[in-house]
Amino acid sequence: MSGLTSIGLFWGLSAVALLGALAVVFVRDVMRMALGLGAFLMAVAGFFAYYGFGFLALAELFVYVGGVLVLVLFAIMFVQRTGSGAPLLESRIDSLTVVSSVAVAAVLFVMVRPLAAAFSVSLPATATQHLSQALLGRLLPQFEAVGLLLLVSLVAVVIIVGGERE
Amino acid sequence: MSMILVACSLFGIGLLGVLVRRDIIALLASVEVMLGGALVLLVGLGASVKHVGSPVSVEGIALIVIVVAAAEAAVGLALLVAVARRRGATRVEDLSEVKG
Repeated sequence: MSGLTSIGLFWGLSAVALLGALAVVFVRDVMRMALGLGAFLMAVAGFFAYYGFGFLALAELFVYVGGVLVLVLFAIMFVQRTGSGAPLLESRIDSLTVVSSVAVAAVLFVMVRPLAAAFSVSLPATATQHLSQALLGRLLPQFEAVGLLLLVSLVAVVIIVGGERE
Repeated sequence: MSMILVACSLFGIGLLGVLVRRDIIALLASVEVMLGGALVLLVGLGASVKHVGSPVSVEGIALIVIVVAAAEAAVGLALLVAVARRRGATRVEDLSEVKG
């Protein structure tokens, strides 16, 4: 990939991610908010692929776009029932929330920026083989713990949603 | 540097959404935006770290974070559906009794 193409791809992904995130925060129509969330999640997956983490990009697509986004849409269909018209989301925007959010983002940027110089070694993408070796080697306890967490969360979801009978 | 700026902006936008939104679905979506910004930062920095011989794999850590976040979203949405079924409300103002 040439330098100009790479730069264009990065800023294209950035624009999609930022616009999707802004849609999540500011759009009033709930289905459009879900569409913005989907665009944001796909842009994040694109970032993963851009940095050479192909497996991670696929996992993001499968787990988030194929799983969490569908869950959000189902939740919208279950919950947002109105008599007529599209359901609307409310926001309460004031200057203090905007200033505090911008301040947190700026502080985060200032704190993380020195890391860019520290991690300046540019390397080719990792292979899936390295990932599998890490997950079944050094990260095996964490991998098993995450699997257990998923199981517990699924049981919790069943108990929370299906526990009551009217 | 640009990646850090974009990731921090995404985190800030998500934080703004958590602060200004009043609906639980939008709150959960804003939390996902914050998490996406943090993941972009993690992966972007991890792409420039020497992986061979490093103590942990950045890709493995990011995968674990994705799975944990998916579990969090599933439980959050289940709570949303349960609260909406019981109280008929999805706005945070209507759930003040949760404070105890």
